[in-house]
Amino acid sequence: MDPVHDPAFVQLLTPEGRRVDHPKFAYTGDDASVAAHLRAMVLARRLDAEATALQRKGELALWPPMLGQEAAQVGSASAVGPLDEVIPSYREHAVALAMGVAPLDLLKTFRGTHMVDWDSRALRFHLYSFVIGTQALHATGMAMGMRFDGLVGNADPAANGAAMVYFGDGATSQGDVSEAFVFAASYTAPLVLFCQNNQWAISVPIARQSKIPLYQRASGFGIPAVQVDGNDVLAVQAVTEWALDRARRGEGPTFIEAFTYRMGAHTTSDDPTKYRGRDEEASWRAKDPIARVRAYLRSTGAIDDTWEGHLANESDALAERLRDEVVSLPEPVLADWFTRGYVRTPQALLAQREEFVAYEASFVEEATA
Amino acid sequence: MSPTTMTLAKALNAGLRRSLEADPKVLLMGEDIGRLGGVFRVTEGLQADFGPDRVMDSPLAESAIVGTAVGLALRGYRPVVEIQFDGFVFPAFDQLTTQVSRLRFRSHGRLSVPLVVRIPYGGGIGAIEHHSESPEAYFAHTPGLKVVTVSTPSDAYWGIQQAIASDDPVIFLEPKRRYYARGEVDGGGVPGPLHAARVARPGTDATLIAYGPMVQTCLDAAEAAAAEGHQLEVLDLRSLSPLDDAAIIASVERTGRCIVVHEAVRSGGLGAEIAARVSEACFLSLEAPVLRVTAYDIPYPPAKAEHAYLPDVDRVLDAVDRSMAY
Amino acid sequence: MLTFNLPDPGEGLAEAEIVQWLVAAGQTVAVNDPLVEIETAKSLVELPSPWAGTVVALLVAEGDLVPVGTPIVTIDDGSAGDATVVSGPVVTDADAEAGPAASGAVLVGYGTTAASVSRRPRAGRTVVGVDRDEQVHESYSTAQPVSRPVGEVTSPGALGGEPLPPPLPDPGEPAPAASATTPGAKAKPQVRRLARDLEVDLASVVGTGADGAVTAVDVARAASGSSNGANGQAGVVHRVPLRGIRREMVASMMNSVKTPQASLWADVDVTETVRLIEALKKRREFDGLRISPSLILARAVCLAMGRSPEVNGSIDVEAAVIVVPEDVNLGIAAATARGLVVPNIKAANKLSLVALATALNGLVNAAREGRITPADLRGGTFTITNVGVFGIEGGTPILVPGESAVLCLGAISKRPCVVPGPDGDQIEIRSMATLTLTIDHRVLDGEAGARFLNDVATVLREPGLSLLF
Repeated sequence: MDPVHDPAFVQLLTPEGRRVDHPKFAYTGDDASVAAHLRAMVLARRLDAEATALQRKGELALWPPMLGQEAAQVGSASAVGPLDEVIPSYREHAVALAMGVAPLDLLKTFRGTHMVDWDSRALRFHLYSFVIGTQALHATGMAMGMRFDGLVGNADPAANGAAMVYFGDGATSQGDVSEAFVFAASYTAPLVLFCQNNQWAISVPIARQSKIPLYQRASGFGIPAVQVDGNDVLAVQAVTEWALDRARRGEGPTFIEAFTYRMGAHTTSDDPTKYRGRDEEASWRAKDPIARVRAYLRSTGAIDDTWEGHLANESDALAERLRDEVVSLPEPVLADWFTRGYVRTPQALLAQREEFVAYEASFVEEATA
Repeated sequence: MSPTTMTLAKALNAGLRRSLEADPKVLLMGEDIGRLGGVFRVTEGLQADFGPDRVMDSPLAESAIVGTAVGLALRGYRPVVEIQFDGFVFPAFDQLTTQVSRLRFRSHGRLSVPLVVRIPYGGGIGAIEHHSESPEAYFAHTPGLKVVTVSTPSDAYWGIQQAIASDDPVIFLEPKRRYYARGEVDGGGVPGPLHAARVARPGTDATLIAYGPMVQTCLDAAEAAAAEGHQLEVLDLRSLSPLDDAAIIASVERTGRCIVVHEAVRSGGLGAEIAARVSEACFLSLEAPVLRVTAYDIPYPPAKAEHAYLPDVDRVLDAVDRSMAY
Repeated sequence: MLTFNLPDPGEGLAEAEIVQWLVAAGQTVAVNDPLVEIETAKSLVELPSPWAGTVVALLVAEGDLVPVGTPIVTIDDGSAGDATVVSGPVVTDADAEAGPAASGAVLVGYGTTAASVSRRPRAGRTVVGVDRDEQVHESYSTAQPVSRPVGEVTSPGALGGEPLPPPLPDPGEPAPAASATTPGAKAKPQVRRLARDLEVDLASVVGTGADGAVTAVDVARAASGSSNGANGQAGVVHRVPLRGIRREMVASMMNSVKTPQASLWADVDVTETVRLIEALKKRREFDGLRISPSLILARAVCLAMGRSPEVNGSIDVEAAVIVVPEDVNLGIAAATARGLVVPNIKAANKLSLVALATALNGLVNAAREGRITPADLRGGTFTITNVGVFGIEGGTPILVPGESAVLCLGAISKRPCVVPGPDGDQIEIRSMATLTLTIDHRVLDGEAGARFLNDVATVLREPGLSLLF
């Protein structure tokens, strides 16, 4: 599958940093906006690198890196409107930052001190989901709810909202995702199904998941689709804006396949050298999303050493704050978790908590080291 | 193969290898099991030696992994499928409970589903959500399924082969926190029955009934208790469905006290089933009620709280104390 | 100076091999600069520096296999003091002691921590109970009906201008558990059974067990009518709980006491028996078998039963019959570490001497190893008990409930004895032993008992006369 030669493949910025046109899509922002994208991508990459390093030092149990997917995430997130809902999987760290999740909050569940601790309703960024594909159905339901709530097809666009769900190429094999396609189409849900095809589901290549380009599946469900260069932040923003507009206007779901690459491992517990070659990684490194934007902005003079210096400092500061904050995260108190499962905790469970608390208190205090 | 010391994961690998060699109808299927050799390397090297048509990397779909295995089994193959983590078995739950467990029954005994579903399970590994579950009770509660778990490399080596040889569908639960525990495996030996329990440590004062990851915890507790003058018997159930009633009853009649230890939550767990059976069969031998040491009735908490959530040596000994106080 | 211990990089390894150092002592490093390449069970991994500073020393060498938690490098970050600051997951003493066996299989997560084999000390050995009357209620109940719209996203009017329908009924809460007072007496299942057997009303017994539970001792005491205990005792009084076999013995003895019993005894010259035993020991048939006076006694009993079959019987008071089975299920009283057990050899009268010896040996070994089964204990019809092994000359044995006679053999000792000689009576040194027979006087009278005892004594005194039986 070589999408670059497929006329459906949307690209507006080449890997070398040259702007190109597309018959259907255009990027309407100015260089300042592009620079904002660069900043967002650089900071996201830095957070990702820092989290990876923290895991290697034993401060996080696990980290799923999104290295290489910054453009797919920053580009799509920039199209999100003030009434839109975003439903991620578990690798959308750049989207999380864009939606206002505090960097530290993103790391908490991976440190094992918290479940998923951000206010998903206030941020309109739903909780990370580790069971593959289940979130596609939730997003479909949320989109249906938004339609019932009257957020779709209003004359005033500012009164309209839609939902966007993120999932990967592997997830498209799960039954839940196909069912989401069915329901989204059947109920004309205001939903953007954003798939980051990063070519790998742990060690299983996309060819095992699908015999055809993923975007071609959607038409089988009656859902229009587009395949975009996932490493091109301008193209990603353009197609996502189009898809979200469609949904907000009441024209139903759209499937976006962002063709990108998982430069890192599946998680810090994975070793890609066991199943893929350096050549493949090198060829994708040449298509790096940040490098091309940087090259473009440098070529237009929109950014210079001073600007990049500021960004580097900002990046270092983010990293340092993250390192300091992570180690200060409080240990979870199990007793607190007995009353978080139900609205009103049943008697028997309260009794269990009493029993647990009394048991823990029955030990001789150990001298702290 | 002369007796060698190996990890539980390597013992599984060796047992799978032997099974693939012994029967050309044995197939392995699962996510990342072929090229990568499995996320725990249990299937390492098998695709290279047996080919991608016998050791298959599957698309990301648990229901399809089990469902297609049913079809393969009906065609005379012996599929051995892997669910990558316990928390991900639920998409396949429909196939397991409405199909795999019922085809023999539905067909008046004509159809066979000689399927093995391998599932790494249990916690204590500091993992994120859905990677530390203990779902055995759902399967033990499903007639038509056999449910087996191992605690030692030797049981792993033989158990996987016996499960594959079984013409019944077997849920084969592998305690992931023990994957790298070492033990002796005698490839020249003869295994005991798959569905029999094993006295892991004989004793007289109380019976600790455990399986999978908790067997080692109970052995550690028995070691600590010995220093206090209590001889605890540790019974490794090995088979959760069917349960080895004879071994359970014999042990409890001998000691008069029974404590069941499992990582799964308390309510509706296997400890409840064992307690019911023991109270029926050993009523007049009991010195104390059957006690259960389990996780509390809440979902698996953040990893750093799991040590308080799961049974450990202190909690097991606390239950022993309470039992002895009767 | 800061020390970096080998962290568990989430692969569940217990140890890793140091493959290649990427820095040297004296080198300046920034945060996250790669320090070293290690090889885990699965792959090559680079470890980044937690601190910026100067590398002081590399503490392990390339090629070393290093357990998780081992200090691998020290870095001077310029801070004062020499405190060892540990980065990475805290390795407790238990982890450190348990060493490489600690970390188990992990592909996600921190890996396992070592299970400690010693227990954490408890404050007082109190059993932790739950006070059911004190519940902490955390209520999340809403004041409004359950089915209100989600106010955060939409205004309530969006679904139409109609008034809200009546609220759905609240699910409510079931009543909490009543305070824990159990009606009726508290007692374990076997204690209840004992009380029933001894016809003791549990409710009338004062319980001395935990939580006021009635114990077996309480029931036994109530049955015997005595109330002696630790009352009025000064000094340390030990309380030994009745468990297992000892508890059974109490029950069975209590039962036996209800039966009218009488004892007869005979001093028997067993010199010939002693000689017979020595002769048998030399015979090939008895290779590997212990031959004891109990064996000869057992055989004598079986032979004597031929002439006195009623000794093998028992009384069924309700049916007003005496039941006499033909099989002699011969009980052998055995003292074990856990107490007195009386397993029986089924149909002993039908066994040859060799078979009887084999069965007897088997029972004795089983008793010693705690392998006596309930089946062994059931169905006995006559019992022999050997106090001679304790060096005791004789005793008054107590009937095993359900049996009508029990025979006790005392120690065989050399005693002076009057025997007929060529010149009239003379004193000889003979091996003598005292046999005592206790009978259920409802089933057997003195004459029956005496006849049986004499027959047994005859066999022991002159084994050749067993041809008469």
